[in-house]
Amino acid sequence: MPTSTDLLQGTLDLLILQTLSLEPMHGWGVAQRIQQISKDALQIGQGSLYPALYRLEYKGWIKSEWGNSENNRRAKFYRLTAAGRKQLQSELETWDRLSAAIGLVLGRATEVSR
Amino acid sequence: MITEFLTRLRFLFSRNRRDERDDEFQFHLEHSIAAKVAAGLRPAEARRLALIEFGGVEAARAQCEQQRPGWWIGSTTQDLRYAIRMIRAHGWFSAAVIATLALGIGLNTMVFTLINAALFKPVPVPGGARLVAITSRAPGNGDDRLSYPDLIDYRAQARSFQALEGASDQEGILGEPGIPPEPYHLERTTTGVFSMLHIHPVLGRDFRASDAEPGAAPVLMIGYTVWQNRYAGSPSVIGRQIHINEKPATIIGVMPKGFMFPTTVDLWMPIVPTPRDLKRDNRQLQIFGLLQPGVNISSAQAELTAIAHRLVAQYPDTDKNTTALVMSFHERYNGGNIRMIFLLMLASVGFVLLIACANVANMMLSRAVARQREMSIRAALGASRWRVIRQLLIECVLLSVLGGTFGLALAAFGVHWFDLQTSTVGRPYWVQFTMDYSVFGYFAALCIVTGLLFGIAPAWRSSRPDLNEVLQEGARSIGHHRGGKLAAVLVIFQFALTLVLLTGAGVFVHSLIKTLDSNQSIPARELMVGRLQLPQDRYKDIAARQRFYDQLLPRLRALPGVTSAALTSNPPGLGSAESPVEIEYQPVPDRTHRPVVAYITASPGYFSTIRLPLLLGRDFQPTDGNASHRTAILTRGMADRFWPGQSALGKRFRLYDDQGKPGDWISVVGITANLLQDLTEQDPKPLFFVPIQQQDWSGISLVVESALNPTAAVRAAVQAVDQDLPLRSVFLLNEAVEHQTWYLHLFSKIFMGFAFIALLMAAVGIYAVLAQATSRRTQEIGVRIALGASLRNIMLLVMRRGLWQIGAGLAVGLAAAAPAARLMASLPIGVSPTDPGVFIAVAVLLAMVGLVACWLPARRAAALDPVKAIRYE
Repeated sequence: MPTSTDLLQGTLDLLILQTLSLEPMHGWGVAQRIQQISKDALQIGQGSLYPALYRLEYKGWIKSEWGNSENNRRAKFYRLTAAGRKQLQSELETWDRLSAAIGLVLGRATEVSR
Repeated sequence: MITEFLTRLRFLFSRNRRDERDDEFQFHLEHSIAAKVAAGLRPAEARRLALIEFGGVEAARAQCEQQRPGWWIGSTTQDLRYAIRMIRAHGWFSAAVIATLALGIGLNTMVFTLINAALFKPVPVPGGARLVAITSRAPGNGDDRLSYPDLIDYRAQARSFQALEGASDQEGILGEPGIPPEPYHLERTTTGVFSMLHIHPVLGRDFRASDAEPGAAPVLMIGYTVWQNRYAGSPSVIGRQIHINEKPATIIGVMPKGFMFPTTVDLWMPIVPTPRDLKRDNRQLQIFGLLQPGVNISSAQAELTAIAHRLVAQYPDTDKNTTALVMSFHERYNGGNIRMIFLLMLASVGFVLLIACANVANMMLSRAVARQREMSIRAALGASRWRVIRQLLIECVLLSVLGGTFGLALAAFGVHWFDLQTSTVGRPYWVQFTMDYSVFGYFAALCIVTGLLFGIAPAWRSSRPDLNEVLQEGARSIGHHRGGKLAAVLVIFQFALTLVLLTGAGVFVHSLIKTLDSNQSIPARELMVGRLQLPQDRYKDIAARQRFYDQLLPRLRALPGVTSAALTSNPPGLGSAESPVEIEYQPVPDRTHRPVVAYITASPGYFSTIRLPLLLGRDFQPTDGNASHRTAILTRGMADRFWPGQSALGKRFRLYDDQGKPGDWISVVGITANLLQDLTEQDPKPLFFVPIQQQDWSGISLVVESALNPTAAVRAAVQAVDQDLPLRSVFLLNEAVEHQTWYLHLFSKIFMGFAFIALLMAAVGIYAVLAQATSRRTQEIGVRIALGASLRNIMLLVMRRGLWQIGAGLAVGLAAAAPAARLMASLPIGVSPTDPGVFIAVAVLLAMVGLVACWLPARRAAALDPVKAIRYE
């Protein structure tokens, strides 16, 4: 099972941005969501999750605000900013190009989504 | 883009609050536990697993913190504050490190400045780096000049040069009505020399090509100093009619302040070639050239060599030995001895730097060992290894910068001092000992590299200890084994280097003492010396000069305060002439290798003036020295050398000239005590005196003994006999001798300074190491005292380690010092070979200082109160 450290450099940022593009979420939620969607294949360790969230926030791609969680506990929610949305868009394009190219090299023409 | 920048800016100033982050972590953990409980784990187990999964909270905090733009500024200021606190908390330790560094860096910066100025910095004119000197031989190998036709041929054929100009130096006596004549350094040059240098007169006009045409009106260019001192800076000096060496000329211009090309010139005149100048074998020109841009010395050399070969073929009679050597100004003027001495200085100052570095490294090392526990605790609390190292590095760099700043001040002072010390020794005007930017660069690099050098090793060590081991057992037991060996090696290294330096200083001081010791019987402080050069034109022969002397001497002796006056070619300690000699009835096996003797001329009364006892025979008389009656007075050294065990009186010898032709037989009429004329000669030649009228020499020195300062009166007396004759090089004899041996004085001081500093540093080094080691063993020593160890036991315990290090250092140092001293004596810098006394003296001195440095911590250890010591932590 690959852990977050096995993720390609920069991929974690992409995953977080993609996850947050659906709805604002707290850190735990982001980790859980990635784990669920990847069918437990990707487990994001806290050691990389929070530094990544902080990094994205410092870059101005996501914004944090305190709110109440589902069980009414105070939690920090992250939300994609306009700049973040633009960044996500360009990173997705890069990813598509890259994975298509890698697929070609490896001789496994993958179905390119979108 | 702009929003991103603004966001970054915002976060630069407002940090996420720490408790917010902790709340977030807490929230995460709670969810994690809840998820695990939901999956069926017991709450306690779920909590444990969640915590393990989360990992180090502090590490996560730090990583989040490090995402913040500019996060390092905060932690660096933190480190800086901490470093300043540590430096202040260990005041004595820091002072020792800073002082050591200041000395090491300061001395290096100083010496580098000096060497840069003396050996590398180009002449400060446009294109100065392309300025070269052309000689016929390497400097110091006798006559190295070229002829005027050579210059014309090289100019016509060489393509490597933008300009080629010639010059020949001589004395120029400036005379005019109303101002007493003064001798200056005159350079006769070809007319393009100033435009080659792109230097133009501040007043008046440059030389023109027409000034060098036959029959042109003679013109004179004066230097700024002459203009200021002789003519009070008056603009009306242009067009003034003066006499230069008693021939009329017109002043046409004043050169800028400080310009004295090529070395220390005051006056310039164009060369108007005479038939004599145009002879191919009349070699009296120094040639200076400005290389074409992009042409280097070796290709210019190749071109000139080819031309020289053609000249040899073309003029086999006159040019058979013609060669041309192209060299930089530094090679030409600061080669040989000067270069050697500077490189020697560089080597010794490098030793000082090595000692300084070893010292600082040692001190840092011993402290790092003492601080191992602190470092381990920091590491255990989550500080990364880089953070620990950086903390120490900042401390080291800070110490280096402080030390370097003091060092810079020291260097500036040292350079200034050296500049003053060498201002009167004929240094070319373009060698200026001032601090400059490349030196600042060197200084800064040195500073940082030194800091890193001694910072990184201890930092690396202390960031890597086995955490558990250190935390459990305490720092004491570990430090002892780890730091011990390296520290010991460093101390040995220091003592060895110090010994070599001390020996170097000893060699210089020994030579200096030897020269100061020589000629002790002569009252050098009461003798005034001055020099006269009688012009060939007016004093054509020996008889004419003798008439002048006969008029001058009685006037000198009649001056108030003057007790005695005499004439000689070379006052005591100021050189001599040398010739091969043949002793009558003593054939030599090899006629081409006759013994060489040294001689000077002396007027009657000279021996009593300089208080040199006449042991046998008589003084010179006015009748001595004519062709039928050649006489000499020998020193005892010469008499014993050639006539051992018999009286030399009445014996005869003769001298050989440069062409190998013998002169007249000379009879010995007296024998004096020994006198040393060549102070820097390692093996002085046997010396004798001849009457003044026996040598056809046009220069003469006055030696006047007087209770008062006779300079003005002596000048007046000379003027009264010949008003156009200037008196030059007026000194008290002791000053003149010091002037002659200036570098021995200067470098004795410098090397003693270096050695003293090295000694001090070595002492501080061994003291610091022992004191640290002893304080780590306080508990152990307390136990030993409590168990009945005697004072002597404790002293020995502490000192033993220091003693064997000193011993080893001395042994290594002596092994290195002997060849170093031999090397110095073999260099042609006027130091004498060293007797073993010097080695013994410096070794004993060093051992004593080392002993004291060891004894201090030992005494403190022995005086410990065992009860307090055992509780010491």
